[in-house]
Amino acid sequence: MTLQVAPPEVGTSPDVMATAERRRGWLVVAEQESRDLWTSGRGLILLLLFSILLSAVTYLTSTNQALNFLEQRESVNLVLQLAVAVGVLVTLVVSADGISGERERGTLESLLVTPVSRRAIIAGKLIAALTMWFATFIVTIPYVWVLARGVGILGQAMALGLFVGTLVAVGLGSVGLLISGVCNSNKTSIAASLFLLLILFAPTQLPSGLPQGWFFEVLLRANPVASALAYISSMLVEGHSWTEDLSYLITPLLTALIAGGALVFAGPRLLRLTPGVSAG
Amino acid sequence: MIMLLAGVLSGLPVAALADPLNVQVVAQPPTVSTVLGGRFMITTEVKNAGSAPTGQILAHLNVASIAGDVYVDPEDWSQNRSQQLSLKPGESRKLTWEIQAVNSGRFATYVVVVPFGDSATGNEPVKVSQMVTVDVAQRSTLSAGGALPVVIVVPVLIGLAAAAALFRVRRRRGPAT
Repeated sequence: MTLQVAPPEVGTSPDVMATAERRRGWLVVAEQESRDLWTSGRGLILLLLFSILLSAVTYLTSTNQALNFLEQRESVNLVLQLAVAVGVLVTLVVSADGISGERERGTLESLLVTPVSRRAIIAGKLIAALTMWFATFIVTIPYVWVLARGVGILGQAMALGLFVGTLVAVGLGSVGLLISGVCNSNKTSIAASLFLLLILFAPTQLPSGLPQGWFFEVLLRANPVASALAYISSMLVEGHSWTEDLSYLITPLLTALIAGGALVFAGPRLLRLTPGVSAG
Repeated sequence: MIMLLAGVLSGLPVAALADPLNVQVVAQPPTVSTVLGGRFMITTEVKNAGSAPTGQILAHLNVASIAGDVYVDPEDWSQNRSQQLSLKPGESRKLTWEIQAVNSGRFATYVVVVPFGDSATGNEPVKVSQMVTVDVAQRSTLSAGGALPVVIVVPVLIGLAAAAALFRVRRRRGPAT
């Protein structure tokens, strides 16, 4: 990214400068990063792949002749869980490119000399990555609408998806930026992030027929993705109230707080030309 | 001698010493008509018709298909299928059961009362309510036709937007040298 914040001596008009001064640095970075993401077509291509995946799953679900009422709730749950999981995945991929990508493209130096604090740059990058999550969520709405018709859970499913998904996206987006800050290359950063996500998704893929003792429960609750998906499932399929299984959201919340906090404190040290927090 | 007597007594069937379960179980309403996914409630009145307390007893709800070849998993129909209670002589208790019809067809729901815990010896007769007939009509709310416009239109629109963005980027960069 090349941040377009002109220094005073360039001769920018006083009105533009005054506007730039009024606006906070993180907002400028977020706007510029988001513009880069969406106008370059990168975000739209990820969104296209996401919509193709949701289309395939939605079509398969709705053509199942044996589908009954309960399974319809489950199909809403399936699509929403998939949307949250893949939405978080693309957010993680975008954020994992945040710092290491700038280093690799040689644009980090010009970014560091702009009159914006390093924390503001990090915050702006996180917000830009989160636009990816919000875009995937908006794309999910028509699919969930198609599946939730007649069951009366559209509003509940959308509110649930937005709240839980945003919580997980903030946490894992922050983790992605932290990984990006310590990695030498963009490839390493993205590979490490994807591997992390794979580890987090693994418990959700265990067959439900397996005996699930206390160890599985600990594994589930310690995992921000699995526990967030379990919370969605408990409300949509089992019909629990929003307070009944709130403990499932402790790990996603802690992940967002800890990773976000680490980003705030370690961010300025991560955003440097050489990778790592202790590099010179 | 005492040991021998105790051994003989412990070998006797305990049911022979205890009062048999003397309760009446009445279920209401006699029939229910609903659609697939519909929620309904049945009530059962359990009355101790005997002269002794029942001790701990368990009322348990069950569902069975009585037409066609429909597999029934009662756990899907009701999350709370067991209620524990104890009744004094002459006392009665009304129990409610929340049920959701998860299959279409014709079903019988009934409540069976059995002794629970220490009061169960394994030899008592169980008491069963009369059955409540449940007719569940099919309801199909999902169709491939309904999903098709969304399934096609959404990726097409996003694909067009992505193509336009890529075209603009290439034009801005100019022809490749």
